[in-house]
Amino acid sequence: MARMKFYCDAERCIECNGCVTACKNENEVPWGVNRRRVVTIKDGEPGERSLSVACMHCSDAPCAAVCPVDCFYTTDDGVVLHDKDICIGCGYCFYACPFGAPQFPASGAFSSRGKMDKCTFCAGGPEETGSSDEYRKYGSNRLAEGKLPACAEMCSTKALLAGDANVIADVYRKRVVNRGASVLDWGVQYQNASLRETSGLSGKASSTD
Amino acid sequence: MLSVTKNQHTVGLLVLLAMVVAVFSFETIAYAQQETTSEAIPVPSPGTDLWRSIRDRTQPDITDPSLRNVSPRKLAKDLWVEVNSADGDIVGQTQVLGPDAGALINTLGEQWRQFRMNQLVPVAGYVLGGMLIIIALFRIIRGKIRIKAGRSEKRVKRFSLYQRTTHWTVAITFITLGLTGCILIFGRSVLLPLLGGDVFGNLAFAAKRIHDFVGPVFGIALVVQFILFIKGNMLKPKEDLMWILKGGGMFGSHASSHRYNAGEKTWFWLAMLGGLIVVASGLVLDFPLFGQDRADMSLAHIVHSSGAILILAASFGHIYMGTIAMEGAFEVMATGYCDANWAKEHHDLWYEDVADRVEPYPDAKDEHKSDVVAQTPSGA
Repeated sequence: MARMKFYCDAERCIECNGCVTACKNENEVPWGVNRRRVVTIKDGEPGERSLSVACMHCSDAPCAAVCPVDCFYTTDDGVVLHDKDICIGCGYCFYACPFGAPQFPASGAFSSRGKMDKCTFCAGGPEETGSSDEYRKYGSNRLAEGKLPACAEMCSTKALLAGDANVIADVYRKRVVNRGASVLDWGVQYQNASLRETSGLSGKASSTD
Repeated sequence: MLSVTKNQHTVGLLVLLAMVVAVFSFETIAYAQQETTSEAIPVPSPGTDLWRSIRDRTQPDITDPSLRNVSPRKLAKDLWVEVNSADGDIVGQTQVLGPDAGALINTLGEQWRQFRMNQLVPVAGYVLGGMLIIIALFRIIRGKIRIKAGRSEKRVKRFSLYQRTTHWTVAITFITLGLTGCILIFGRSVLLPLLGGDVFGNLAFAAKRIHDFVGPVFGIALVVQFILFIKGNMLKPKEDLMWILKGGGMFGSHASSHRYNAGEKTWFWLAMLGGLIVVASGLVLDFPLFGQDRADMSLAHIVHSSGAILILAASFGHIYMGTIAMEGAFEVMATGYCDANWAKEHHDLWYEDVADRVEPYPDAKDEHKSDVVAQTPSGA
C-alpha cells in the first residue's frame, strides 16, 4: 500500500494561503477551525521561508498515543484519522501534537471545546464512505474518489506536495538536483555574485555590471 | 537690511545642504556595511549541500545513478531539523488566529507525552494500588480500632452543622472528581477493553464533563472548609512530634492529642494546600479563555494530575480511618457528636478542654444518633 505524506517545499511556497482556502472550501470547515495554516518564519528578513502546515500523519502519532479514549486509527494508506463519536474533546492531542494540527470548534468556559477536528488528508472518516454523515463530520473523501488532497492539488507553485511518500520523494529529489542548474545558468550567476562580494566591491551586486 | 537677510538665507541653505550630504553619506556607509553582514545570516534551506555541489559544478548530471544515494528524507528534513533544534519554539507569522498558531514545532509536546504515558499512568497505578495494599496490611496487623473502655453514656459536640455540611460537600465532590479523573487516566487501559469504544467513549465524555463542572464547586467548598477547620489544625511541634514518634499510640505509651492529632493535621495541610494547588491548576485547564498556550496547559496538567494522585492516595487513608477502621469515628462527622470515651482515648487533651460540655445522649436506646438529634440545641 501507499504511504501517504505531505511535503511543503519551502523554496517554492509563496504564502498565498491558497491551500488554506482550498481546504476550508473543500471540507466546509467552520469558522475558527483551520486544518491547514501557512507559517512564515523570518518574515521580511533575509532568509524568509514559508511553510504550509497541517496534520503530518505521523507513523508514531503522539495524538493517538495520549488519547484517553483511543479514538485515533491509521488507515492502510498511512493516514491518521479519528472517530468524532468517541472523541471527548479533552485537548490532550493538541498538547502532544508537534505541528499544532488538532483544532477545536470552541474554547468556552468549563473546558467546552467540542469534538476535535483536524486534517484528514481528504480521506473522510470512519462513517460510510461518501455518506452525508461522513461529509458533515469529517469533510470530503477525495482519496476514495482517486483524488489527492485539495490543498496540494490547488497549490499554485506546486510547493505543497501530497501523495505516496516514494513519489513525493522522487519529485523533491529531482527539484533539488535541478535547482540552480537551468539553461539560464543561474548557478554561474550566483557564483559570480559571491566572487564580486569577496573582491571588495561594495553596493548592490547587480549594479556593478 | 535686505542683503543681510539674503546672506543669512544663503548661509542657512549651505549648512542645510552640508547636513543632507553628511546624512546621506552616513546612510550609504551603513547600507554597505549591512550588505556585507547580511551574508552571515544563516538561511535555512533543504538540500543545501547538494545545491552547493551543483553550483560548484561538481555534480551536474541528474541522470547520474549515484544521485540515487542522496536520501530525499534527509533533504526534506533539513528545514524542520533547523526549526526543531532552535532554542524554544520558532514563532512565525500566520494568518490563522489562536494561541500557538505561529509556532512550527511544539517542542514540549513530546516531553508531555512521555510524562503522561510513561510516568503518570503507571506511577499513578503503583501509588494508588500500593496505598490499598498498605491499608490492607494495616487492617490485618492492627485490626479494627475499638473504644477500649466501651461506649459511655455521654457524648460531646465536635463538629458544627456548617462544618459537617462543608465536609460532606467537599467529600462528595472529591470522590466524584477522583472517580471521573481515574476514568480519564486508567480508562483506556482498564475499561476500554471491557466496554468497547462506543460505550467507553460516552462514559469518558460524561466523566470529562462532570469533572469540568464539579471541579469549581469543589474548589469553593475547599476554601470554605479551610476557613472552618483551620482552628485546631495549627501545628504544635512538641505534641505533634511525640504523637508521630509513638506512631499515634501504636508504639510506646498513649499518644496525647488536642482537637486534632498529628496524623489528622498532616491530612488537613496536605489536602488543603495540595488541594488548592490542584484546584488552581485545574482552573487553568478548565477555563481556556485567557490565551493559555500549549506550554501553560501541559504544565498545568502535570501539576494537576501529579497533585491529584498524591491527595487521592492520602484520601484512601483518611476514608479508611473515618469509616470502617475505627469504632465511633464515622458518627462524629455524621452527627457532629462523639462518644465521651472515644474523645478520652483519641483526643484526651481536647476532652479536658471541653469536659464541661459533655452531655448525656438524648435517647439512650438510640445508639446511632440521627442528624435531627444532632441539630437540637445542646449545652446552651
